[in-house]
Amino acid sequence: MRKALRMLGQTALLWGVYWVSNRFVTAAGLPVPGNVVGVLLLFTLLCLGVIRLEHVQEAADFLLRHLVFFFIPIAVGLMNWGQVFQDHGLVLLAAIVVSSLLPFWAVGFITQWLHRKDGECEL
Amino acid sequence: MSPLTLAAIAATLAAYVLFRRLYLRYGHPLLNIVVLSAAAIIALLLACGVSYQEYAPAREIMTFLLGPATVGLAVPLYRHRHLLRRYAVAIVTSVAAGAACAMLSAGLIARLGGLPREVVMSIVPKGVSIPFAIEIARLYDGIPPLAAAFVVATGTLGSLIGASFLTRVGITNPVARGLALGTVSHAQGTATALLEGERQGSMAGLAMILAGVLTALFAPFAVMIL
Repeated sequence: MRKALRMLGQTALLWGVYWVSNRFVTAAGLPVPGNVVGVLLLFTLLCLGVIRLEHVQEAADFLLRHLVFFFIPIAVGLMNWGQVFQDHGLVLLAAIVVSSLLPFWAVGFITQWLHRKDGECEL
Repeated sequence: MSPLTLAAIAATLAAYVLFRRLYLRYGHPLLNIVVLSAAAIIALLLACGVSYQEYAPAREIMTFLLGPATVGLAVPLYRHRHLLRRYAVAIVTSVAAGAACAMLSAGLIARLGGLPREVVMSIVPKGVSIPFAIEIARLYDGIPPLAAAFVVATGTLGSLIGASFLTRVGITNPVARGLALGTVSHAQGTATALLEGERQGSMAGLAMILAGVLTALFAPFAVMIL
């Protein structure tokens, strides 16, 4: 019971940070999603010690453990675009696959090469 | 809440629980939770003659906590903040290179493949989270909902093949893996990286943010080239 209440409170706090960030983005007219500002805001508050890890970490860890869940209903939305994918299927598939594999490799290679002396255990 | 919405939520949850269990038991990358669950739900909706518009209220309820969950990415990022300073140069250069590479290769292939201009402009911002992509598509005469669909397709593909591809090309450094997954396939890649480990997840979240901002900054140049 106490754990459930704590989760609820922590989720509310995360939601509050998200809400403030959204309001800020709208008011400032920034072309940036509210959740991006939210991550930066919460990170800053954690660094400043205004919010401590134990105020949010149980809820954050739970939500992040199940983060993939939220993308199921969003991915279902692809069903609306069947026609476009049917009409231009091959080109779109090529574009999406190549433009994923190339940067996957580029990002991974650059980082790993710059830190080629890092051992796994030092991280 | 309508019975349809209730049933849709129950079905989505059931699919998630089932495929998550399968994934955790066998750990095979093709047992992708999002792909399999979404495919099952689409098949179910088509079989029952339910449109996506009728499914939308259920989606709204289920994604209500996505915003706060994304904000929660600050927690693993804070826990691994020592990596930020150590990897600062690598983070900025690799994510910038990756974001530019993703936009240009997608746009070029779409253009050379003879797709209409507005479709090309919708595919350019496919590597960033939906709000960014919609804004970029709107600014450069793309079709915002189509841009959102490409974002989802990219995220789904990345979560399906990203981790195994990185392993195949010899990327073993967890920071490098996380950055790659977040840069290319944004939040879905981040979710996948989190399944792999917290270091991967925190770096993916950071890369997703950075890639989103950089893509918005690079967009005018990409439009000029394409």
